[in-house]
Amino acid sequence: MEIVVCLKPVPDAETRLRPLADGSGLDPEGVKFVLAGYDESAVEQALLLKEANAGSKVHAVSFGSSRWTEEVLRAAIALGCDTATAVERSAGTPEDPLATAAALRNAIEALPHDLVLLGKQAGDDEEGLVPGALAEMLGLPHFGFVVDLRWDPASQRLKFGRSAEAGQETWESPLPCVIALQQAWNDPRTAKLPAILKSRRALLGKANPPTPTADHGRSELERFALPPPRTGARMIEYRTPAEAAEKLVRILKEEAKVFP
Amino acid sequence: MPDFSLSPEHESLRDMARKFARSEMAPHAAECDRTARFPEEIYRKAHALGLMNLNVPGELGGSGLSVFEQCLIVEELAYACGGMTTSIIANCLALEPILLGGTPEQKQRYLQPFCADYHLASFCLTEPAGGSDAGALRTRARREGEEYVLDGEKCFITNAPHASLYTVFAMVNPELRHKGISAFVVPRSAKGLVPGKDEEKMGHRASSTSSVRFEGVRVPVSDRLGAEGEGFSIAMRTLDQTRTPIGALATGIAQAALDHAARYSLKRETFGKLISEHQAIQIKLANMAQAVHAARLLTWHAAWTIDRGHKGTLESSIAKCFASDAALHVADEAIQTFGGYGYMKEYPVEKLLRDAKLTQIYEGANEIQRTVIARELLRGYS
Repeated sequence: MEIVVCLKPVPDAETRLRPLADGSGLDPEGVKFVLAGYDESAVEQALLLKEANAGSKVHAVSFGSSRWTEEVLRAAIALGCDTATAVERSAGTPEDPLATAAALRNAIEALPHDLVLLGKQAGDDEEGLVPGALAEMLGLPHFGFVVDLRWDPASQRLKFGRSAEAGQETWESPLPCVIALQQAWNDPRTAKLPAILKSRRALLGKANPPTPTADHGRSELERFALPPPRTGARMIEYRTPAEAAEKLVRILKEEAKVFP
Repeated sequence: MPDFSLSPEHESLRDMARKFARSEMAPHAAECDRTARFPEEIYRKAHALGLMNLNVPGELGGSGLSVFEQCLIVEELAYACGGMTTSIIANCLALEPILLGGTPEQKQRYLQPFCADYHLASFCLTEPAGGSDAGALRTRARREGEEYVLDGEKCFITNAPHASLYTVFAMVNPELRHKGISAFVVPRSAKGLVPGKDEEKMGHRASSTSSVRFEGVRVPVSDRLGAEGEGFSIAMRTLDQTRTPIGALATGIAQAALDHAARYSLKRETFGKLISEHQAIQIKLANMAQAVHAARLLTWHAAWTIDRGHKGTLESSIAKCFASDAALHVADEAIQTFGGYGYMKEYPVEKLLRDAKLTQIYEGANEIQRTVIARELLRGYS
């Protein structure tokens, strides 16, 4: 099985974020971008499928021109992906989901692909629009919010679940298709040290940037701001636990009016 | 122009070690310290990820890292737990004599199977009657035909109760003093090799330390490293390689102490304001930060010197000595910043002081390091 997994570098959860002075976006200065969350789960899923189905290959693909694009691709190689391809972003290319999907399509069409895996949304903007757009451009069926993906050689179909509001749905699909994965149902592996060293010397492929069309850049970010700092916490002064409980109950009753 | 920045490759190694340290080691550090438990499951994971035999070349099954890269990793591990780090990197110390003194055949024979699976090795130099005075070794190796017979006792041997391989330094000819020492590789299965009971230690309690007795242990000549009498040189060259990562280990402990103290100072109030707003605490934190920064840079410089093919005896002694003194001082000041809470076992900083203390003692006590520094220094004046 030839599996393509699409990756996006997102800010490290431990980095302190701040908006650009004009509020037009995130200030990337000093921010470290990593392979995280949904994408990490997608890579893990791709590797599990590869291990369960001899002769399979995993191809990592990412769109962007920052050093972080290269970093997440090398991280994917260190984890066990077989190839990695960057789609360069030329200056002025919009960052909207359709332009991103078109860029990924360029890379994917140049690769053998039975299955395309993505996180259901990026860990930073959480838009979740790329998987559907990409499937449409590739002319392939698309499933979202997928968990527990397996290949059934007997029926030659993928079997998987979808988390739905009221329970879990069970689905199956023939290949090829595009699948957007839910996070955190698998435990993403850690790359081994020798594999990290080897990944630094791996050759990365390059794919053509997307040709701009009238559809690209139709959605635009208006303003980016951090949520206001949280307030309202209040410490209760007390000498004994009983006194603390008594004061808390009084506040809940009389001030917050949580119960009568 | 010297470059102090880390390459993306260095960053990815450091990040990997940081992730392992914080997700696998740190959550168990307090419990292992309290109960003196040897967390083998963590060490097995470290081995599986290539964090254990850092200095062994890739073709022999290790990770093949430079000393600088080892330092980046060791600092991260020690930030989470000094004791676990000591046990994780003990293989580097124990296997270095094989890398330095072994023939290609010996390296293949010992290291390939050893590194392929989880195994621990112990470096057996120190003896009850003397640690730093290695020339006065009492463990004897008597030649009998194609074998040596080892008799004697080693002490304070890291991982000894759990090891499957021991690199042992023993006196073949006492009249030649340190030139009479030879190095041997002895498997755990050797008859007469008896590890002692686990020592109760002040710190590094997740690590295991015991004596090892050699009661007529027969070692084939083919398991001697280097020529007869070359043991002392192998031991000293080993320590030249492994001393610098001890500086990194101490730096990791010091950085943890500084981070705890700084964070606490931003939460704790006295006299109506955060203690971070008191100049007394600011001065403490500033001095701690200077010590940590200097320790790291000295360590990096020593590693860089060795990786460029120099012996680096002076640089590595300075790094180990300074960083370990810094770690003790910074941990002490972290406790002082916490006040009474810092003295309580419920808080993490008193462990750092106990762990830091060992870094002044092992792999060459700081008194010896200073002797070495002075000797190397004065050579430049005479």
